[in-house]
Amino acid sequence: MKPIEKYVEAMENKDFAGLAELFSKDGVLSDYCTNSSAQKEYHIYGKEAINMFFRNKFGFRQYSIMEAEVVNDEQAEFIANFGGYNIMAIATVREVTEDGHIRKLTVRPK
Amino acid sequence: MGVYAISGASSGIGAKAKELLIERGNQVVNIDLKDGDICVNLASEEGRKEAVEKLNQMCPDGLDGIICNAGVSGACGNLPLIVSLNYFGTIALATGAYDLLKKKQGSCVVTASNTISQGAGRMDIADLLNNIGDEKRILKLVSQMDSSNLSVGNSLYVSTKYALARWVRRVSSTWAANGVRINAIAPGNVNTAMTATMSTSAKMALNALPIPTKYGQECLMDADEIAEVMIFLASDKARGVNGNVMFVDGGTDALLNSEKVY
Repeated sequence: MKPIEKYVEAMENKDFAGLAELFSKDGVLSDYCTNSSAQKEYHIYGKEAINMFFRNKFGFRQYSIMEAEVVNDEQAEFIANFGGYNIMAIATVREVTEDGHIRKLTVRPK
Repeated sequence: MGVYAISGASSGIGAKAKELLIERGNQVVNIDLKDGDICVNLASEEGRKEAVEKLNQMCPDGLDGIICNAGVSGACGNLPLIVSLNYFGTIALATGAYDLLKKKQGSCVVTASNTISQGAGRMDIADLLNNIGDEKRILKLVSQMDSSNLSVGNSLYVSTKYALARWVRRVSSTWAANGVRINAIAPGNVNTAMTATMSTSAKMALNALPIPTKYGQECLMDADEIAEVMIFLASDKARGVNGNVMFVDGGTDALLNSEKVY
């Protein structure tokens, strides 16, 4: 599976630990979709932070995705739900390490 | 050495703050429902009045600091108590001690919560608390809410703590201009009697609130981690700090709200 496919799978399964393991130690996940939902955007630096952040968001049902579709080797589209607010989003794997971990992934409104 | 008052110092963070202050040669008056030097119920008007009267009797020369720490969690199952104790009881004690603090150019520390930054509070309730402050009417409103629903209790708890932090910010300038500093502390989840007696679902919710400094340990913060900062804020070492809401949560707020730099 490609990193973007693993990302979608982890997000759909609310697998925060699996999601974090996809990222390199210095991996960054930036999510700009929340600006539309009156929340501030997320910039999560490091796999441990990604683990903790999504444990919280999944645990409190503040972030989920549905209707995901991988559109190419680096991108997937889905409906992102931020605590009840739905946004059509596109995730892009921007940088991958030599050993296949995600170093940078962005999620933006489509 | 100084004279301090702490509410809710019979257990938890308050007890640790009391212990540390006494270890360092200070006198401490504990205001609590049980086992206090002043035993009162700060959720009631009578209790608040009695607390201030006795504090004046016991500390006629003034206070170097007061730590308004007494409170209950959102899982206590008593919604009016959350409002009366956490918000109105705290403000009544702080304002009641103001003249004593003025005498010694003292400092007030109010215990809020790091949950105030997580958007789970009811801003309408926080606005009613800060802007109207009519305890009887607010209690009437609250009594119509579903006390069996944990998320209702939690959102009310967050609302009271948010309103408290905002109140601290609002009064801080005038208080400081009169020689009395006031700050709030926003602790993360701490191992206390309050958290130890929580239900399984409430504990699960706690564990979903990550503490970066405790990464991988599945544990809460220690009371002394909070108490040390309380004492710092109450001390003259923090004389340049006023109107601040200091998060002492091992980095939870930074994790969940990294873009909020102010």
